[in-house]
Amino acid sequence: MTGNGRRLRAAALIGMTMAATTWLHAQAADTLAIAGDVSKSMTLTAADLKAMPRTTVSLMDQGREVKYGGVLVAEILARAGAPLGRDLSGPAVATYVLASGKDGYAALFSLGELDPAMTSSDVIVVDTIDGQPLFDYQGPFRIVAPHDKRGARGVRMLQRLDVVRLRK
Amino acid sequence: MVTRVLRGGALLLLGTSGAVAARQPPPAAYVWNLPTGFPAPRVPADNPMTVAKAELGRHLFYDTRLSANGTQSCGHCHQQAKAFTDGKERAFGSTGDVHPRNSMSLVNVAYAGALTWANPSLTRLEDQALVPMFGEHPVELGWTKPANALLDRLKRDRTYQHLFATAFDRTPTAFSIDNVAKAIASFERTIISARSPYDRYHSDRDNNAISTAARRGETLFFSQPFACFRCHNGFLMGGGADFEGRERDAEGSVEFHNTGLYNLAGALSYPPPNTGINEITHRAEDVGKFKAPTLRNIALTGPYMHDGSIATLDDVLDHYAAGGRTIAAGPKQGVGHDNVNKSRSIRGFPLSADQRADFLAFLNSLTDEAVLHDPRFANPWPPPQETR
Repeated sequence: MTGNGRRLRAAALIGMTMAATTWLHAQAADTLAIAGDVSKSMTLTAADLKAMPRTTVSLMDQGREVKYGGVLVAEILARAGAPLGRDLSGPAVATYVLASGKDGYAALFSLGELDPAMTSSDVIVVDTIDGQPLFDYQGPFRIVAPHDKRGARGVRMLQRLDVVRLRK
Repeated sequence: MVTRVLRGGALLLLGTSGAVAARQPPPAAYVWNLPTGFPAPRVPADNPMTVAKAELGRHLFYDTRLSANGTQSCGHCHQQAKAFTDGKERAFGSTGDVHPRNSMSLVNVAYAGALTWANPSLTRLEDQALVPMFGEHPVELGWTKPANALLDRLKRDRTYQHLFATAFDRTPTAFSIDNVAKAIASFERTIISARSPYDRYHSDRDNNAISTAARRGETLFFSQPFACFRCHNGFLMGGGADFEGRERDAEGSVEFHNTGLYNLAGALSYPPPNTGINEITHRAEDVGKFKAPTLRNIALTGPYMHDGSIATLDDVLDHYAAGGRTIAAGPKQGVGHDNVNKSRSIRGFPLSADQRADFLAFLNSLTDEAVLHDPRFANPWPPPQETR
């Protein structure tokens, strides 16, 4: 790599990192935004999530059972008007949801795999672990995909769910 | 009458060990008292944990008679006050041989999926205990098999006569290298550390146990672009914990990583003999791949990296921030950032002064002072008498 190349790479890294970590010292309210191809974009607070139908999933974490409490992603998406159940057919099946954390980490789910009428993936937005709030590095919201073999889609510090419909 | 006496004598002759064994209560099983979040360690079926074996192992671990020339014990390179490391770049054997690598901490070694920096197949503490005893490259404790002289030393000692009898049995065969290794392994498994401020914050939910800076540091540790947790993961914050019930995949439970510490010109980009698991596999893509050590008590275990070539945690952060180390001149010259085997997770990142302070606060919160002073892990032998 040339000297210019190195400088550009360094500058890009600085930009990325500053953008990605300014949230750490910021005091912005902890909310979850649902946006994109939905009929009703919304921003949920911790209290909003507490008021929704709750789900608990138990996972074995390093030899220990851990209970996560939260709300099915499908429940949240339904409130935002995403096509689910009988409406999830035809072109709507080509829809995905991008879950993003405050640090820029993101994971993708197809809408079909989130819909309990289609599969039983039980993917949830959690806000408690063993009945307690999540720790700073995890929360206040986090994705838990209990049937994934690896935890890579368990987006921590979840901030957004963006619905993207590929076929109109 | 004569028959009765003879029969009694025969019983005595035949039944000496059996009669004693019958009088001897079964060894008390070891009770782990594991902290929250720590699963049961995996213990080999042929070496179940007992209190007596661990106690015998503690005596052996700290006994300089374990080295052929009587100068070193296991505890020389694994010192309790330094979280069972030695504070040196590289360890020294009893005859002065310099070990190629830095002493690894024994804290929580019961959970280590692989025991050394660069040997994926060395997974049993019982096997590992034999390496310093009989190893020749380097010489550590300096024994040659069958090491009868070592066993004779132990047999003559009244303390060991009692400890071996309690841990195993009263027969002379109890004094074996196999049992020495089993006892040392049993003691090492007891060294569990989970009483750091970080543990109080997590397990006890004590929000005052660690500073705000340390909490921010933890968040950085688990966030992009740093993502330190990818290699230092789980309750050990290290590579590949093993425990009872964990499924082992075909590749084994431990990953080894090239972090771009070196990039020498030529076939071996890391200076021999420290070529990583390449030493075992001989595969070119394995050059420079080492185990990610546990970060528990990391503030006490410097200098760092497999060869102790980075002095401080500050310098370690610089290494990762640069995405690899550049050595400008000399025999180890090279740009580690460009090592072809470097892990994709090591990409570099800008690190502000605040972030650096937060990282260091977090890493310091992992220090468990209790394990440094716990008498269960301490040297049981009286200090040597000074020569007048």
